[in-house]
Amino acid sequence: MVLPMPQLPILLHIPDGFLSTWVATVFYLITIACLAVAIRKTSESYQESTAPLMGVLAAFIFAAQMMNFPVAGGTSGHMLGGALAAILVGPWAAMVIMACVVGVQALVFQDGGLAVLGANIFNMGIATALVGFAVYKAVTGFGNGKRPFILVGTFAAAWVSVMVAAFLTSAQLAVSGTSDWGIVLPAMLGVHALIGIGEGVISAGAVAFVLATRPDLLGITPDFGDSTLAGEHVR
Amino acid sequence: MSYFALGERYQHGQGLLYRVDPRVKIVIAVAFAFAITVVHAGHWQAFAGFGAFVALAVGTSRLPLWLVLRRSLIALPFAAAAFPLIFTKPGDTIFTVPLLGWAASHEGLVHVGSIMLKSWLAVLLAVVLTSCTRPLDLIRGLERLRLPRVLAGTIFFMYRYLHVIGEEGHRLMRARDARSASGPDGGKSGGSVLWRARVLGSMVGSLFVRSLERSERIYAAMQSRGYDGTVRFSNERRLARRDWGVLLVAVLALGGLIIYARF
Repeated sequence: MVLPMPQLPILLHIPDGFLSTWVATVFYLITIACLAVAIRKTSESYQESTAPLMGVLAAFIFAAQMMNFPVAGGTSGHMLGGALAAILVGPWAAMVIMACVVGVQALVFQDGGLAVLGANIFNMGIATALVGFAVYKAVTGFGNGKRPFILVGTFAAAWVSVMVAAFLTSAQLAVSGTSDWGIVLPAMLGVHALIGIGEGVISAGAVAFVLATRPDLLGITPDFGDSTLAGEHVR
Repeated sequence: MSYFALGERYQHGQGLLYRVDPRVKIVIAVAFAFAITVVHAGHWQAFAGFGAFVALAVGTSRLPLWLVLRRSLIALPFAAAAFPLIFTKPGDTIFTVPLLGWAASHEGLVHVGSIMLKSWLAVLLAVVLTSCTRPLDLIRGLERLRLPRVLAGTIFFMYRYLHVIGEEGHRLMRARDARSASGPDGGKSGGSVLWRARVLGSMVGSLFVRSLERSERIYAAMQSRGYDGTVRFSNERRLARRDWGVLLVAVLALGGLIIYARF
């Protein structure tokens, strides 16, 4: 199956060779530290259901990134999903999910390098989840969790998360001496300010759908107690 | 590029590298990607050494050369990030772009050329790794490299259901295309760009709900078969003498190349 249109590039999967040894190493260490916390928190919440639940949701993010919408001139846009994942399942679980997505993309599909994997997971998985979740919580908290605020909060969270990822990528490139601050920063932020709108609208659309069909899922950890049989959830 | 055609990166073959333990191959590919970052811009002899290493890997994998070269072009679009350095790095002017007046410096060209070379060589070795190792073996390799069990288990399940969820997403896209989103010749129809993005959002939301409900069914089915939270991977294989040999040669070669590049 070949997707019909070229995707609008989200220039966030850094390939090998573009970051200096130090930047790559430092971000590996930061990412490992963050993931250690995220794995512990996620395992506490989801107990033994962690691997199957997170695994299928990681496959969902992976597939969602492949779904696109026509923009203009034969190009198409798609989403990154870090902020959406954080809104739907919480920031810690989102980090685990995104780390698996970005990691498999690098190792099995060569989307992003191996030495720069720490930086890529941090930019696209950890920073997007943390910042996206913070923005979402701030906006929904301000609006007492009413529907318009949930949707606006989702849009804002998704847009900001893409901008943060673009900023981090630019900063890493500039610090590594691979790019000039003065060129890479305005270029990346400018392009991703537009891409972020797509991310925001897709994320808000997804949350609107979940609100309409399974409102219990938003902000509520799915109950996997012994009394819950999966059949109850099947519609 | 289609992600739904999974497993296609693996190219069946008979080379020596196919029989090497995935753990060893992963460690070598990551070590190589790190090692090549230490080379200074313009140290062409060091790059030639790393190139010889890649050539050795391609040779022992016995993969078709054209396949490896074609797949190595994947990181090319990112070159745009480094490209402006040709003009912004101070140094001796080599040529000036007509009309725009940008001066390309010798130092800038060397720098950008080195970045491209580093990236290309690292990608080439990664291509060899993924072309001669089955995806499932890569994931098992990660697990045996002491990746936290929860993470390894998550990746295992993710890979297992990538096809299923991907197909589901593809069906959603096909249904949408049949109704609205694309006209003949790739033209668009049905509302503004934002409307189309919102429609995709609904599809993503729908896919999320389906995925979550599927994960609940999977978990219940596993519980009823005695799953206790530990994902078990079979065939705990010890490293054979051949694996140690390959690892030793690679570590010595990379260590030597790092020393040569920096001292």
